[in-house]
Amino acid sequence: MKKFFSANRGSLFTLLVLILMPFIVGLFDGASPATVFVNGSGQAKFIEGLAIEIFILAVYAISFDLIFGITGLLSFGHSMFFAVGAYLTGIAIKSFGYSLLPTLGLIFVGAVVQALLFALVLPRVKGITFALVTLGLGSVFHILVMSSEMGKYTGSDVGLQGVIVPDFISPANERLRFYFVMLVVMILVYLIYQRFVNSPTGRVCVAIRENEGRARMLGYNTFYFKLAALTLSSLTAALAGFFHTLYQPIVSPNVAGMGFTVTALLIILIGGVGTLNGAFVGAVMYRLLDYGLRRYIGESASFINGAIYVLFVLFIPYGIVGTWRLRSFEIKQGWERLLKLFGQ
Amino acid sequence: METEIIFETQNLTKQFGALVAVDGVSIKVRKNSLHAIIGPNGAGKTTFFNLLSGNIEPTSGKVIFKGQDITHQPVHRTIHYGIGRSFQITNIFPNLTVFENIRLAAQAMGQDNFKFWQAASRFKQYEARTMEVIQKVGLKDRVHTLARTLPHGDQRKLELGMILAPDPEVLLLDEPTAGMAAEQVPELIALIQEIQKAGNKTVMLVEHNMNVVMSVSDAITVMHLGKVLAEGTPSEIAANKEVQTAYLGGLYELNV
Repeated sequence: MKKFFSANRGSLFTLLVLILMPFIVGLFDGASPATVFVNGSGQAKFIEGLAIEIFILAVYAISFDLIFGITGLLSFGHSMFFAVGAYLTGIAIKSFGYSLLPTLGLIFVGAVVQALLFALVLPRVKGITFALVTLGLGSVFHILVMSSEMGKYTGSDVGLQGVIVPDFISPANERLRFYFVMLVVMILVYLIYQRFVNSPTGRVCVAIRENEGRARMLGYNTFYFKLAALTLSSLTAALAGFFHTLYQPIVSPNVAGMGFTVTALLIILIGGVGTLNGAFVGAVMYRLLDYGLRRYIGESASFINGAIYVLFVLFIPYGIVGTWRLRSFEIKQGWERLLKLFGQ
Repeated sequence: METEIIFETQNLTKQFGALVAVDGVSIKVRKNSLHAIIGPNGAGKTTFFNLLSGNIEPTSGKVIFKGQDITHQPVHRTIHYGIGRSFQITNIFPNLTVFENIRLAAQAMGQDNFKFWQAASRFKQYEARTMEVIQKVGLKDRVHTLARTLPHGDQRKLELGMILAPDPEVLLLDEPTAGMAAEQVPELIALIQEIQKAGNKTVMLVEHNMNVVMSVSDAITVMHLGKVLAEGTPSEIAANKEVQTAYLGGLYELNV
C-alpha cells in the first residue's frame, strides 16, 4: 500500500487537485463550496466547463496516442473516430429519441464497425500510404456529414444542434456532476490504457512500432494486434465524441475534419508521443494556450499558437512527459554512477 | 551414413525483374548438421535465406520442411514450424531493453498474446525463459540496457538470443559474426556449436570467415551467381578446383 502511494505520488496529487479544483476556484471567487455544489454561476462553473473540454480532449488524444505513439500507425482519419461517436450520439438522441444507455450501445457498435473498416485497408498499406488512405476515409465521412442530403440528421455545415441532454447530467444545470463523471471516465480510460500497454498484447503493439518486420519474424501475426489497438482506440475516441455531444450545444462538422486530427497530433506532441499521460498534459496545455491567447491577443492567436508549437517541436521534441521521463532516467543513472564512485 | 533430411529446397528460384538472384537451387540439409552456405558477395545467399524463412516468396520452386511444403506460408508462421532466423544486418527492437527484446521472442510461442487484461509481468514462464537465454548468450550484465545503446558485438548476441528464446529446431544464421571484433568471433562460434551439439539442432550458416566455416561445418554449399556451384564436406570443397577459382580466387591458402 505504501509502495503504491510512493510510486504514484504525482498521479494521486493531480487527482486530488482535480477533485478539489472547483471548490478552490470557488473560494477565490468568493463563492462558498455550497454554492459551487449547487452549480451557482461564477468562476467555478466556468473553470469546470474548461476542464470538461480538456478531459474530453485528453480522452480523444490518448486514443490517438495508442495507435500512433504505441503501435506506430499514423492515421490521418482519426477525427472520424471521434466524429462518429459525436454524430451518432446526437442523431440517436435527437432524431430517434434514444436514451443514454442505448446510445452508448449504438456508438459501441459504430466504433467497432469503423475499426473493422480501417482494418480492411490495414494489411494492404503501410506507413505513409496508410496515413493517406485513412485521410481519404476521414474525408469521405466529413463530406458525408456536411452534405445537404444528410442535413436532416447532421445539420450539414451548420452543425448538429438541439440535442436534449437528460437533466441529471445537463451541462447547464448539473455541471459539477458532469465534471466528475468526465473526470472518472478519463481516469478509467487511462487505467485501461495503462493495463493494455503493459499486457502481452500491448507489448507486441510496441514491438510493431519499433520494428514490424522483426515482430512478424518472431511469430506474431501483426494484423490482429494492430486491429486490437485500432478497436480500442476507436471505442475510446467515440466515447469522447459521445461526451462532446452531451456537453456542447452544437456539434460542429469541424470535428470530422482533418484539422481535428491535427489537434490530437498536436496534443500528444506537446505531451509526449507514446507516454499515455502525455495526452492529459498536452490537452491541458493545448486548451489553455488556445483559450489564453484568444482572450488576450485576439485574432492573431492562431499565428502565435502555431509559432509556439514549432518552437515546441524544435526544443522539446519528446514532449513534456517524454522529456521528463528521459531526464529522470538520466538523473537516476547519474546518482547510481555517483554512488558507485563512492562505493569503490 | 543415412540421416534424416530436415530441410529441403527443390528448384528454388527468385527473380527480381531481370535479375535472377536465386536460380534453381536444390539442396538437402541433414538433421542435426551444421550446414554452411558460402559464396562471394551477390551470390544470393541472403535471398536464399529469405526464401527459406518466408520473408519473400519464390518465383518458382518449393521449400520443404520435415516433409511439409511451407513455400507459401506467411512469415509469422515460420517460427511456429520450428525455424528461427537471424539477420545479417542487426534486426532488433532498438528502444526496448535487452530483456524485453528476448521476452517478446519467448512470449510469441505461448498462448497468452491476446490476454490484454493481464499485465505481461504475470506470465513468469516467459520471464524465466528470457533470463535463461540471456545467461546463455552472455548478456546478463546488460539485462535492462536499451538495445540500441549496446555495442555492436552485444547486439549480435542479442540477435542470437532472440532466435534461441523460442527454441527452434533449425537455426538460420545469416552472418552471425558480421561486423564483430575479431577476438569476439571464436566465443560466438563456440556458443553456436555448443547450442547445436547440446540441443540436437540443425544450424544453417552463412559466413564469410573461411577459418570458421572450414572448422565447424559438417556440410558446405557453395553458391555463385544464384546457382549451386558445389556441395560437400569441408575437405571436398577445399579441394574443389572450381570453387577455388570462382570464390577463393586462389588467394586463400587452405589449411585443412
